[in-house]
Amino acid sequence: MHDFQIWLVTTIGGRSVIADVMRTAWAWPLAESLHFLGLCLLIGGVGSFDLRLLGVGRRIPIAAMHRFIPWGLLGFAINIATGTLFILTEPDQYIYNPSFHFKLLFMTIGGLNAATFYLTSYRRIFGPDAPLDAPRRAKVIAAISLCAWIGVITGGRLLTFYRPSACEGPQTSLLLTCAP
Amino acid sequence: MNIDPFLAWVESTALSQWVVGSPSMFAFPGILTLHAIGMGFAVGVSAAIDLRILGVAPNVPLRELRRFVPILWAGFWLNAVSGVLLLIGYPTKALTNPVFYLKLTLIAVAMVLLVRISRQVFATGSGASLNPLDQPISSRLRNLAIASLICWSGAITAGRLLAYTYHRLTQSH
Repeated sequence: MHDFQIWLVTTIGGRSVIADVMRTAWAWPLAESLHFLGLCLLIGGVGSFDLRLLGVGRRIPIAAMHRFIPWGLLGFAINIATGTLFILTEPDQYIYNPSFHFKLLFMTIGGLNAATFYLTSYRRIFGPDAPLDAPRRAKVIAAISLCAWIGVITGGRLLTFYRPSACEGPQTSLLLTCAP
Repeated sequence: MNIDPFLAWVESTALSQWVVGSPSMFAFPGILTLHAIGMGFAVGVSAAIDLRILGVAPNVPLRELRRFVPILWAGFWLNAVSGVLLLIGYPTKALTNPVFYLKLTLIAVAMVLLVRISRQVFATGSGASLNPLDQPISSRLRNLAIASLICWSGAITAGRLLAYTYHRLTQSH
């Protein structure tokens, strides 16, 4: 994995038109603001649906509440786009950052968890005789989803406190958490 | 009015020095993280209500979204508390920056808008109906929802810009 990380950082290199634009005075703060707005859309869309599955607003049909999900996905898409801008500009600050590794881990959990929901619970919840109370499995998935996205926010917010420093001596961890 | 002595006093308190100086991840980094999580739930739920008013998820009975308002307030209070702690940590940084007052004003307006929206859609009538069609949405209500989304976007942008627009970090810097 170390070689892959080093390869990623050197390949991206932070040298591109995008990186140059991102280094202008306003681009980075603007992209950060969009990243925070996307976060709110994600929680507002996906988080609200999770809360509904867990029993908040239990008189709202679950299928009706699901119409908020595309707005959560829009927020996620905004954050993938702006997040990519950050990585393209300062690759080493993310690829070697343990907080970023945890952020990616929680994103993966959130994604696999959502896939599990659509594969296992979707039909029962959205079928013709859908119950107002979600089945227990869907509730567990909703709780995992909320925890995963809170984990993603935490990993993102702590990035600046785990900035990778220069490596000293041989590295034995699974992922490289310092700049070689 | 010179508030520097007051700012210097705040910075001299043990709480301020713990927020800023403690190596614990539960101090400054943890408070910042709670501030971002609270934002996600407060603004996220508020935006969902606004979007519903503007026609998203039309089969959701608008009145029933009131069950989500406590989550919104929980996020708001989490951010009020974490925000005050961050302010105690860096009072000079915030209080000498006009953008900070802009952020607070936008949040205040957004919360006033929420209360006005709540009065219109959550408090009227007796007994909840599951028929969404009995909730005609006035253009006035739509305007409140649009204003709410604009205020939250502005507050978030102003908040993010605080890291870039301050003139003085602390009294000693």
